[in-house]
Amino acid sequence: MWGDLGIVVAGLLTLAIFSLLYKDNPVYKFAEHLLVGVSAGYYVVHYFYSSVIRKFYVPVFQQGDIWLLPGGVLGILMLGRLWKRFQWISRYAIAFYVAAWSGYLIPSVLQERILVQIAGTFPPAVGEASLWTILGAILILVGVASILVYFYFSAEHRGAVGRISRIGIVFLMVGFGASFGYTVMGRVSLLIGRFQFLFEDLPKSLGRVGP
Amino acid sequence: MAGRRNDEGLRGTGRFQDILVNLDRRIIFLAIAAAVAFPILLPLNLPIQVSNEARAYFEEIERLSSGEVILLSLDYEPDTMAELDPMTLATLRHAFRKDLRVVAMTTYAGGVGIVERILGEASREYGKAYGTDYVFLGYNPDWSATMLRMGESIKRTYPTDHYGRRTDEIPLLSEVDSYEQIALVATIAASALAEYWVIWAGGKYNEKIITGNTAIQAVLIYPYYQTGQLSGFLGGLKGAAEYERLIERDGAGVRGMDAQSMAHLLIVCFIIAGNAGFLIQRRSQRRARVGGGDA
Repeated sequence: MWGDLGIVVAGLLTLAIFSLLYKDNPVYKFAEHLLVGVSAGYYVVHYFYSSVIRKFYVPVFQQGDIWLLPGGVLGILMLGRLWKRFQWISRYAIAFYVAAWSGYLIPSVLQERILVQIAGTFPPAVGEASLWTILGAILILVGVASILVYFYFSAEHRGAVGRISRIGIVFLMVGFGASFGYTVMGRVSLLIGRFQFLFEDLPKSLGRVGP
Repeated sequence: MAGRRNDEGLRGTGRFQDILVNLDRRIIFLAIAAAVAFPILLPLNLPIQVSNEARAYFEEIERLSSGEVILLSLDYEPDTMAELDPMTLATLRHAFRKDLRVVAMTTYAGGVGIVERILGEASREYGKAYGTDYVFLGYNPDWSATMLRMGESIKRTYPTDHYGRRTDEIPLLSEVDSYEQIALVATIAASALAEYWVIWAGGKYNEKIITGNTAIQAVLIYPYYQTGQLSGFLGGLKGAAEYERLIERDGAGVRGMDAQSMAHLLIVCFIIAGNAGFLIQRRSQRRARVGGGDA
């Protein structure tokens, strides 16, 4: 019963949000503010419980895991941002966090995002893959090289450099086009999801909630 | 600015090309709504071609044997449910049908309710028991640290599951404590999280990873599939529909593809019409200028 009622409310709020497509109005504003308020409330409670209570209070004060205490203290130092006089205290926590994460992240990101990706631009040897795969790999190599030339600003884009950078622009445009196409598909998918909800889930719930 | 100049200069002329260029956006909204709504109400059953990426995703799960464990990380929130829910449900159906065991988690605070709902639906469908066939670890703050630490110990990363039960007392987790005992990591992600699974679980622990992503993210994910860092991936609702076809269990993904195709067709028509109107308009403006100059 409550679940069905929730679906009916969600249906009404969906229609309220859609009303913006005609023009801005108070019904839309109400739904928008409700969404922002409910989300903020949900996340504050969830983050506080999962971070402060589950990851700090319970292990340190109930299970005696005092090794987590320094991390908790660094977290508390971050709250110094809230008072102008004590803002400098938070820098210690930020410095520790940035340094620790740089140490963790830089070698791994360098390996997986740069080195492996560079290796991925080299075509496989003839005989190792099909002709189609090799041609595709050559196309990727040409695309990557010409785009890099386009972003090389220490030489004037004239003559050979200009021609290669123009090829780079073509590859960039194809990339942007693909991104745009996928973005449109994503947005339409969200609309489909809402319509499936309005035309499939909502009528079922209305049947159960109604007289 | 150009649009405004067009509006000011041409509104009310009533010529065909001007109508095309200055079409009221509400007419476009209505047309898109109709193009999406009709196929949902009256399915057209348009054909769906399966891509290599989706087939690879399917085959990675298909090659696993009964009893093996997969880690399913559902890294999304309600805003992308429409695209990613069908992938999640299909992945769980595929896994449970093959009697794989599932360790589920989320790196998004807003994903908890979604995981509970879909995990509940799929487990009820296949009669799976909590604790032995599947487990939900819940949400852990700091996803990077979570992914990294799970390579050492899942039980230390998650001392309790989502329901507060101690993980060292859960039967499924008595056999599984790190990526070494996990056959495959599957992440259904709304953001760049798949890249971080590649960096931490893939790069550091040599774990095989497959991913389902929103359409917007798909372009960023392709390079990782091309280099083999990802073993398979699903892109957007289309990917979900392809995967549903592969597991022979149509769901919201397949149902949505008719609407997707119709909407795309209409958008292409609008783009062609808008550009045609613009070109005709520009030509007539040029002619008018040349005519005026001659005079």
